[in-house]
Order: sequence, then structure tokens, then C-alpha cells
Amino acid sequence: MSGGYRGHVKHSSEYYARPRRPVSLTRGRGPDRFMLALERVARGIEPLTARLRPGHPIPEPEGERTVRVERVEHPAEGVAQLTLVPARPGETLPAWQPGQHVDVVLGGGVLRQYSLTGDPSDRSAYRIAVRRIPDGVGSGLVHGLREGDTIGLRGPRNAFPFTRAERYLFVAGGIGITPILPMVLSAHRAAVPARTVYTGRSRATMPFADLLPGEVSVRPDDECGPPDPAAIVEGLTPGTAVYVCGPSPLIEAVRARTPEGTPFFSERFAPAPVVDGEPFEVQLGEDGPVVPIPADESALEVMRRVRPATAYSCRQGFCGTCRLTLLSGEADHRDRPTGGSPRGEEFAPCVSRAAGGERLVLDV
Amino acid sequence: MSTGAETPPLPDEPDRLVLHARDVEFDWSSLDLHWIPGEPFATHVINVLHLLLPEGERWFVEVFKQAVPHITDEELRQQVLGFIGQEAVHAEAHAGVLDHMDAHGLDPTPYVEQIAWMFRVVLGDRDLDGRREWAWLRTRLAVIAGIEHYTAVLGQWVLDARKLDEAGADATMLDLLRWHGAEEVEHRAVAYDLFMHLDGGYPRRALAMGVAATALAVLWVRGVRFLVANDPYLRGRIGGQRPKARWALRDGRRGLIPHLSRLAGAIPEYLRRKYHPSQYGSTSQAVAYLATSPAARAAEAAEQGAHR
Repeated sequence: MSGGYRGHVKHSSEYYARPRRPVSLTRGRGPDRFMLALERVARGIEPLTARLRPGHPIPEPEGERTVRVERVEHPAEGVAQLTLVPARPGETLPAWQPGQHVDVVLGGGVLRQYSLTGDPSDRSAYRIAVRRIPDGVGSGLVHGLREGDTIGLRGPRNAFPFTRAERYLFVAGGIGITPILPMVLSAHRAAVPARTVYTGRSRATMPFADLLPGEVSVRPDDECGPPDPAAIVEGLTPGTAVYVCGPSPLIEAVRARTPEGTPFFSERFAPAPVVDGEPFEVQLGEDGPVVPIPADESALEVMRRVRPATAYSCRQGFCGTCRLTLLSGEADHRDRPTGGSPRGEEFAPCVSRAAGGERLVLDV
Repeated sequence: MSTGAETPPLPDEPDRLVLHARDVEFDWSSLDLHWIPGEPFATHVINVLHLLLPEGERWFVEVFKQAVPHITDEELRQQVLGFIGQEAVHAEAHAGVLDHMDAHGLDPTPYVEQIAWMFRVVLGDRDLDGRREWAWLRTRLAVIAGIEHYTAVLGQWVLDARKLDEAGADATMLDLLRWHGAEEVEHRAVAYDLFMHLDGGYPRRALAMGVAATALAVLWVRGVRFLVANDPYLRGRIGGQRPKARWALRDGRRGLIPHLSRLAGAIPEYLRRKYHPSQYGSTSQAVAYLATSPAARAAEAAEQGAHR
């Protein structure tokens, strides 16, 4: 997590939790006529709007899109590239932009996000490329797919927005080339100056190196040594947008050396893994079900499976959306107490936990 | 590979953005109470946002959380969840400015307490049930959709407002306003899309905008009066005069505050039958700002650090 205690905020949600009936601002006493008029308007309008009909019924949920694996290729050691086409003939896939990803629904409800790669102007198929990770569940399932298999897709969605710039610096590390490749192709086609630096362990493990047009420097560690972030950003001119995708240390190092005022883009990550977690239990309401929380999973992830409509947002303990009143039990608070959440009375299931075997009762 | 004749080589506007809250922090220890030097009127016109937004955005979060279980579209649900986190962080970022004002002799409590009463009591749950509770939720979503058109207009304005830089406005305050403005532009369609998903009725949408815009206008005037009256340096007067309405036009023309005609024009825009928030504002400008914002960059660096 990024930091410790944010410090006491006076004008917190808690401070305004029980506001007095409005007192005139100019006289300092007596009722505030404007505020009381607003209350009369609301009291009058509420029953009226209850009679207004909705414009339409709430739409039925749409399932995910089904696609067929048309081709499986291996553009590098340990990398599988899938070409995905609509399962039903005649269907088209939504247009996508460089940097966008799809949610892939694999066997057993396993959901993984993979960047779309290849040429964004090709609307007939999607391409994803996945590196096999030892013991990786998602990548194992992808590598087990054969031509003709079908899978579910959601999206595309954009967590790595590709915007117009006068010039680009693209930096890819290993399989991080997948969202970068379509950016390089687009920039090249639009004749926008771009420089691409592609690092990886060895040439044999680095896919698509031969597809990158323009000014490209391919730097495998076994030939050039580990990447030197200072050299990568050397000569950055104003107006250049920097796009980086790869391992965390590479992103961090390039970000730290990118000058202030230069736009820096990196792909967003899934929430950080649980550190030092022990298994505990959460009871959803005084008389509600008890759900076990494994040592390596957040209470929020488990609660979302039980109650899919659970509200949450940042999943890192700072926004406060998922906080629930803690009715009993001893919690290990790992969130940041922003917005006037008194310590001990509320529990943030996205990051906070409890000691092994403890049961927390939450007000849901 | 195909020629791609029909697809533009570079996207004009990034679309389908995944929204996420950024864990920003701002250090106000060197902020001047009049953070646009020599412009106390314009400073306080913008400061009204600090009075309205913490309680307003806390209310957005509460109303949206009530709406989440009704959403049947998974993509929209994800956007709404991202929106909620962004709004929650905005509220607390502005609350930090309230603390700063308070510490410098301008206690905002009397005004903000009224705003709290408006959002928590007048626009709260009102002890309804059944059909009326559900309709009241949709009415409040319509109010939020209307206000969000304004926040997007203001967000785009502050992203464009070079005159604030030229006037020497405090850099940290500009980063707060532009980070917030950029996220407003980034998520500008969510409240409207949510209202259209759960209701979509034109009369409710139009009525809610009418009430919201009127209330917002009055609250803004009252906010400026309150701040000028309670400012320990001004004590109700700027250059020996009580604040004048024409000063708002003057500072609007000078580009230090949004021009009244732009704010008034937002109403007919929103009332168009074919209105959609994506027709106004620039997503690419918003994401480009977020990629340079010192606060957003620091938040992302810290978040990345947690992945090592």
C-alpha cells in the first residue's frame, strides 16, 4: 500500500453526519429560507416523480460473446497466439483501439484479461498472445486450447488509453509487447514519429520483434545485458508520450526517469496480492451465512462470489466504497481511514483481514 | 494484414475506458488563502466548489451504491463501480481544502453544514418504501446525471484554462482541480448512462436538470457571498466594495472563472433529446492530463510499488 495514516481530517463525512436544520448564513440564527424552500420543493416533487413512468423497462442482461479459436500459433518460446472469430457466422466483433484488452472466460469460470494484439484495422478477428507461466492457472488453460474450441469474451475495455501525441516512445518488456505492437503499427501508419525499445530475456522468447516497423531497438538481456532505463528515456523531447508495458520494475524505472510534464502511460494492474494473510471467517449479518476467507484471497473477492451486487471500487483500501459496519470480531485493519471512518467500527473487506480462525460479523 | 482504409490510424478519442480511482494526496502547507494571487473574487468563485463537492460527492456515492444491485449490464456495473471510487476520493480531496481554509481563519462549517443537510435530509432516503422508494432513487439518479453534465463542463473548462496558469495560480491547487476535472471528463457518461439504463424517461431527466441547475446557481452565489463575508482578510469587501454580479462576467471574460454563458448554455445542451455526454469534452485531453498530473503520477507509482 502506498502509505500510512493520512492524518485527521476535520471536515469529514463523520463531522457532517448529523447536520442541524439550516440556520441563516447572514444572521447566524433563525431558519434559512432558501434551504427550507428546497425541502418544500423536494417534498412536493417526490410524490409527483413517483408517478412518472420510466422510458423503458430495465434491459435483460446480455451474456458474454462466444468466440471460436480459429488458429493457434507459437510466435515465440512459451507464447501461444490465438486468433479468435465470432462463433456464429455473420457476426462481427466490436472495433477496438490499441491498448484495449478483453476479459476471457476460461473453463471453470476462470476470468483473465489479455491485451488485444495484432493489427487494429483487421476487423475480422481478435488476436491475443499469452505467455505460459509455470503453475499459472489462466495461462495453462489458454495453452490447453485447440483450434475449434470456443470461449467467452467480454469487452473490449481500455485500461491503457492510446492518445494522439506529436511523438511516441514505446517500451515493451517481454510479453508486454502485446498491447504495444498495435500502438506501434498505428503510429507508423499515421506517420507519427515513434521509437520502440523492446526488451526480453532472449530473442527466442520475444514474440513479434520482426513485425515492429520504424525505429526499433530490440534488446535481449542475453545479448545486451539488463535493460538500462536511463538509456531508454535518453533524448526524450517535449511532446513525446511514453507508453510502457512489461514487468513492474521496468515500468517503475522508466516512470521515475520520465520528466515531469511528459505524459506517461502504463497498463493498470490487478490488485496487489494478499501479503501475510491467514484464513479467517466472515459472517454476512448477525443471522447471515458464514463464509471462509482463504489466506491468499481478500474477503471482498469471496463476498462478491456470494453476493455479486456487492459495491466496491479501488480494491486497495483507500476509496472506502466497500466498507461495512463491523458488528463483532477483532479485525486487522489494512485500509486507509479516509472520509471519517472511525477505526474499529468499519471494516474494508478489500484489504483488511483478521487473525487465523477469527470470525468477523459484518452488517450487510 | 488488411489495409484498414475505414479505420483511422490513430483513435480520435480513446473509448471504453476502465475507470479507476487514483489514491492522490495534496500538500496544502504552502497554499495561500487567495491562491490566484491578487484575485480574491475569482479565487472564492472557484472555492465554492470545495464547499459543495465533499458532501455532494459523498451523496453521489451513497445513491450510486443503492443503484448497483439494479444494474443488469456488466460493463455498466464496472463503470459505475469505478465512478463510485473516483467520486469518493474527490470528496475527501476537497475536504482537505476545507481543513486548510479552517486552519487559516475561514471556518466553512456553517455553509457546508447546510449543504450536508440538503444532501443527507432533503435528498436523502426520505423514509420511503416500495414503488416510491424506487422512483425516488431514479429521480436522484436523474439529478446526478444533470449535475454530472455540469461537472464535465467545468472539468473541460479547467483543463483548458491557461489563464489560471498565466495568473500564477497555485500549482498544487491547479493539479487538484485538473486531476478532478480530468476524471470528471473521463467518467462523464456514467451517470447519464446509468439513468438511461434504469429509467430513461425524458420528463424526469428534464425536471431534475431544471431543479439541479437552479439550485446550483443559487448555491454558488450564496457560496461566494459566504466566503467573502467570512474571509478574515476581506471581511465582506474587495477593494472597498461588496461583491458585484458583474465581477463574475468580468472574471469570466478574463478566463479566470467559467463564463456564465457557458454555464447557462449547458442547460439547453442537456435538454436536447439526442444529448449524450460523449458529445462534449475531450477524453484524450483528460487522459493526457492524468498521464502528467503530479498527484496522479505519484499515486500510480505508489500503487505499482505495492506489486513488487
